[in-house]
This record gives sequence, structure tokens and C-alpha cells, in this order.
Amino acid sequence: MTSTNTLQEQTIDLEMKMQSIDVNAWFGQKQALKNINIGIKGNSVTAIIGPSGCGKSTFIRCLNRMHELTPNAKMTGQILLDGQNIYDKQIDPVQVRRRVGMVFQKPNPFPTMSIYDNVAAGLRLTGTKKGKNLDEIVKRSLERATLWDEVKDDLNKPGTSISGGQQQRLCIARAIALQPEVILMDEPCSALDPIATAKIERLVVELKRDYTVAIVTHNMQQASRVSDFTAFLYLGSLIEFGTTTDIFESPKNPLTEKYITGEFG
Amino acid sequence: MLSILWEVIARGAPQLSLGFLLNNNSNGGIGPAIQGTLILIGLTSLIGIPVGILSGIYLAEFGNNKYATTLRSINDILTEFPSIVVGITAYGVIVIAIIGSYSAIAGAIALSFILIPIVARTTEESLKLVPNSVREASLALGAHKWRTTLSVVLPTAKAGLLTGTLLAVARIAGETAPLIMTILGNRYFFQGLNQPMAALPLEIWRDSLQPQASMQAHGWGAALILILMVLSLNIIVRLASRGRLKR
Amino acid sequence: MSRIIDRGLEEQSVLITKMAELTYETLALSIQGYVKGRSVQDEVNEMSDMLVAMADKLEGKTFELIARFQPVASDLRTIKSYMKIGNDFARFGRYSLDISYINEKVNGLKECDSAAKDYLEEMSQKVLSMVKMSIDSLRKLDVNLAKSISETEREVDKMYLEYLERLIEEDNTSSKCIISSALMTRYLERIADHATYVCESIVYIVTGEKITLS
Repeated sequence: MTSTNTLQEQTIDLEMKMQSIDVNAWFGQKQALKNINIGIKGNSVTAIIGPSGCGKSTFIRCLNRMHELTPNAKMTGQILLDGQNIYDKQIDPVQVRRRVGMVFQKPNPFPTMSIYDNVAAGLRLTGTKKGKNLDEIVKRSLERATLWDEVKDDLNKPGTSISGGQQQRLCIARAIALQPEVILMDEPCSALDPIATAKIERLVVELKRDYTVAIVTHNMQQASRVSDFTAFLYLGSLIEFGTTTDIFESPKNPLTEKYITGEFG
Repeated sequence: MLSILWEVIARGAPQLSLGFLLNNNSNGGIGPAIQGTLILIGLTSLIGIPVGILSGIYLAEFGNNKYATTLRSINDILTEFPSIVVGITAYGVIVIAIIGSYSAIAGAIALSFILIPIVARTTEESLKLVPNSVREASLALGAHKWRTTLSVVLPTAKAGLLTGTLLAVARIAGETAPLIMTILGNRYFFQGLNQPMAALPLEIWRDSLQPQASMQAHGWGAALILILMVLSLNIIVRLASRGRLKR
Repeated sequence: MSRIIDRGLEEQSVLITKMAELTYETLALSIQGYVKGRSVQDEVNEMSDMLVAMADKLEGKTFELIARFQPVASDLRTIKSYMKIGNDFARFGRYSLDISYINEKVNGLKECDSAAKDYLEEMSQKVLSMVKMSIDSLRKLDVNLAKSISETEREVDKMYLEYLERLIEEDNTSSKCIISSALMTRYLERIADHATYVCESIVYIVTGEKITLS
């Protein structure tokens, strides 16, 4: 199958907040990603879609150097953040993860911490809370995550005492508290009901004002609702990448067309 | 088990009195034995719990290599070691070679060798029960691995760690065989780490071998005290874990 | 594997095919009536009304499909274009009605000279063939056939402008002929335009490109 890269391949595009250049990834002997070249534009939402096992989660975990935490995981190629390769020898992966935050598929607030402590956790765990007004940061992050009104009187309750949708917004607040530049979301709504999903989708669209968002989703309608750009991955390869309008109105690659119109088995 | 318990209570209860608990043997009490057992538990915990927990942490959080696998195998073997063998080894190494006499510290070290593998294993298992999503959440925020382990994983596994540790302590409180060859047992209050010491299990054993009925009754009393200590440790564990479940 | 939306798409396809047949018949009938001087108004009226009703039905079904199935890519382009094409076909019906009305009122080409008659007959045939071409390319979703309509479109445009020129220059044409033939060429030119729009929609369905063919 042919790859339809609509991006300048292998040249650094400074307009892009993040850029993957010839990224290949393996789990042991199994190759999960083949030559991925994607640019993620700043202050926009980029969706990554594709059937199960196509490598979309693997790709996004390369963007914040979480992929390498899996035993036997390997990656080649470059991933640029503001033009600099985050895999350079002198770059500390821990620092990368403070600039590129992540929200996971299943909400995972810290079970032994209260709501307040969960939001403040990022600052405490990374030792960056010096000289900062935690109360203010917690409030601001919860407001930004549209959770403040619902929990402002219960900040000392355990982080796990709220509903699934609220927990996910708590995780978003926790990620935001560190003021990352990029927020990665790995199927953030899969475990949620439609109303909670709608709230988070609205939040995602709002977040792009201040952050760059990359979201993995297996729900195509969600991708078409929230994203500005869409990348379609299949069996580890990038099949097509373009504006969401183009992809969903007139995709160039017949495989893309098949996938988004539901002709895949 | 209930009949054993009943037997012990029936025969031991009459012995109980403040004097029994505090006096030394010449005055008909088991004070030294109680003190000895408490000192032993204390020393062993001091040595064994930190080592055990740190090993458990290493195996669970940093143990994806062949060193860890070897360590784990050794640990597993040690948990199965007959306690008398531990005793003999401690005798040969510490009593004979290092200190030169039966000593409290030898007993503590011997019991540590029983305690550490258990604590290491329960620690490792408790930590493994912490879902990986919790670790990932912390790492994704940009926390270092050691920080994640310390501030997120350990607190989450707190209950399991506590339970495992307390149960291990309850177990060694009743060990007799290693004590025979290390602290020897006597009728005096604590005289120094490098001196022999009394302990409840030894007291029970020696008393039961005496022909006089009064000595045997003495032994039943000691047995009751020992059982009460172990039972209360178990009850504490049970209450602690129920408290956590309620939340 | 067929999808849930396929049934709805199939129904739309059947409806648009029926409309295509009917609209061609209607146009052919009204044009023939005009050229040969026969009265066909009642028939054409009925057929035109049917076409409008069918277009309404098509539009309703389009919104239902969009609301229920969130179609994307070629499905979306197809549904959207069917609705547009349906409107074009209904428009042909209205033009047929206009033609038959003129026919009734001013007696078609009876008042015109034979040169004019031949000219208008040629033009009508060209336009009918354009409509046929658009219907064929719709049925086969043939992009090349659809694109080839631009040639005939240019010819028809040329004929229209030339005829108007001629009418302006000549002095002795009867007023009835002037009205009748001027309006007729106007209708024919508009029908040709809409046939071209249909072909543009077909190119859009297949390739996603929005082009002009005139």
C-alpha cells in the first residue's frame, strides 16, 4: 500500500511543535512502527486514528519517551520538540515528560491521594513546587479542566471517590498543573459514558488555545469532531495525513476511505 | 486448634499475675523470658525489616535483570529453609567464629535470616499488586523512578506491606530451634548483646521437660503469654486491613 | 461486508435513477411538442409535479441519512450530490413546463422561418444529448464522460449567443417568433447549464474535486 505523506519528508519544519522523522519502533523483534513522518502543529488538535494494533498508542508513547519504559522496546529515528530531538544523548527523558504530558485510557488518579494532592502531585513529585502557590495552581488547573465547580468543596476527598468522567478530568488537571507544552491523550474517553465523553471533547477543543494536543482515538466521529489534523495509521505505517476536513470529506488513499467509511471488517 | 487453645488457657491462666509477668525465675516469674522475647523481636525487626523491605522493593521495581532473578531464587529457597539449619549456621558463624559465646545478637541475626526472605517476598508481592497504571501516571508527569517508587507505589502498597511484615514478625516470635543454638536461654534478665538471653519459647520448652508439676505449670503460663502475643499481633493485622477495606 | 448505511444509499440510488428517466422523458416530450407544434402541456405538467415531489423525497432522505449515519468521505459526497442532482432534474421538469407553456401561448415555431426552425431543432437535439450524457455518466459514475460535456456546453452557448445576435440584426421576424424562439433558446441554454452542473457533481462524487465544466 502506498503512503501518502502530505508533509515535507525528512526536513525540519519549524512551524511544527513536534515532528517525527523516520520513526521506527519495535517490541523485541516485532516492528510496531514503520517510518512514521508526522508533524504536529502547535496550538492545534491532531488526531491519530486506525484499527486496533496499528501502532497509534505506540507512536504517541514515543512522543513523551514512555515507549522506552517497556522492556525490550526499541526506537529509531528522531522526534523533535521545538526543533530539538528529544532522543539526543544529553536530553533527560524526565525533563521531556515534564514538557509533554499524558492522559491515559483508563483514568488513573493516585489512589492514596486526595483530589487536591492529586493535582499538586506533579509539582511535588518533580520537585518543582518551590516558590509556587499550590492552592492557586490547583484551583486554576481544576478550573481549566472544568472540574473546579464540581469538587471545590471536596478537595480533601480521595481522588478515587469521584465518577469516572470526573476522574479523567482530574487526570487532565493533574497534567495541566505542570504547565506542559504538549498534552498527549491515549483514547481518553474509551472508558467513559457519552455525557462524560462530550465534556472531555469540549475540553480538548478548548485546550488547544494554550497547549498542543495529540489524541489517539478509535472513534472516528470523535476524531472528526475535535481535531484539526488527522493521521491514519495501519499496521504500523502512516497511510495518510492531512486536515481533518480533507480526510473526512475526500481522503486521497483508498485504504483511508475504506477505513473511515466502515468498510473494514 | 481450639482444643489446644483451651488447654493452654486452662492450664496457663492460673499462673497469671503481675508477679508472674515481671519477676525473675527465682521468684516464680517469667519476666526474663518476656523481656528476652521482646528484645529479640525488636532487634530482629530492626535488622530484618529494612533489609527485607528494600530487597522486596528492588525485586519488584528494579528487578528485570538476571541479578534480580538470581536474588529471587535465593530468597525463595531461604523461605523454605528449616529453621534449625538457620540456627546451626548462626551457631557456627556467629556464636563460635565471631562472638565466641551464645549471644542475644546471634539469636537476632538467626531470626533475621528467617524474617528477611518472608518480608522480601510479601513486599515484592504487595508492590506487584499496585497496578502499573499508577506508576505510569507518575512517570508521565516527569517523576524519577525512585521518586515514583517512594512517593506513589509504596504508599499505595502500604497495607500489604504492613500485613506482610507483621505476620512475619508474629512468625519469628514463636521460633524455638534457632534460639537453642544461639541465645541458649537462661533465667536472667538481659545482660548484653553478646551474652546468652532468655526467651519465651525456650522457657516453655525447658519447663515442659522438668518433672516438677510446678515447673510444668510455669511452662503453661509462658505458653499462654506467647500465644497471647502472637494472637494480638494477628488481630492487629486483621483490624488494620479491615480499616483499609472500609475506606 | 455491507454496512448499515448501504441500504439507505441504495434507496437514494434507485430514486435518482427513476428521476433521471422521468426527467429525460419530460424534456424530450416538451421539446418535441415545441418543435413539432403539438400540445403536451397537461402531460408535462403532471410529470413535472412528480419530479418536484421526488426531489423533495430525495432531500428528506438525505437529511435522514446524515442525521442517523454520520456519513463521511465518498458516502457524504454521494449523498450531498444526489440531493443537488435531484434538484437539477426537478429544474429540468420546470423548464419543460416553461417550454410547453410557451408552446401553448405562442404556437411554438409555427411563426418562424425554416432556417430558424432548423436552428432551434439542432440546438434542442444538442441539449437533449447533453442531458442524456449527464444521465449516462451518473449511472456509470464515469468521470471522463462527465468531463466531455464541456465541449457540447461551449457549442450550445455559442449557438445561443449567435441566435440572439441574429434576432437583433434581422428586422422582419414576426414578434411571435421572436418571443417564442428567444425564450426557447434561453431555456435550452439553462438546461444545458444544469446538465453541466450534474456532470460537475459526478466528478465531485468520484474524485472529491470541485471543478467547473463550462
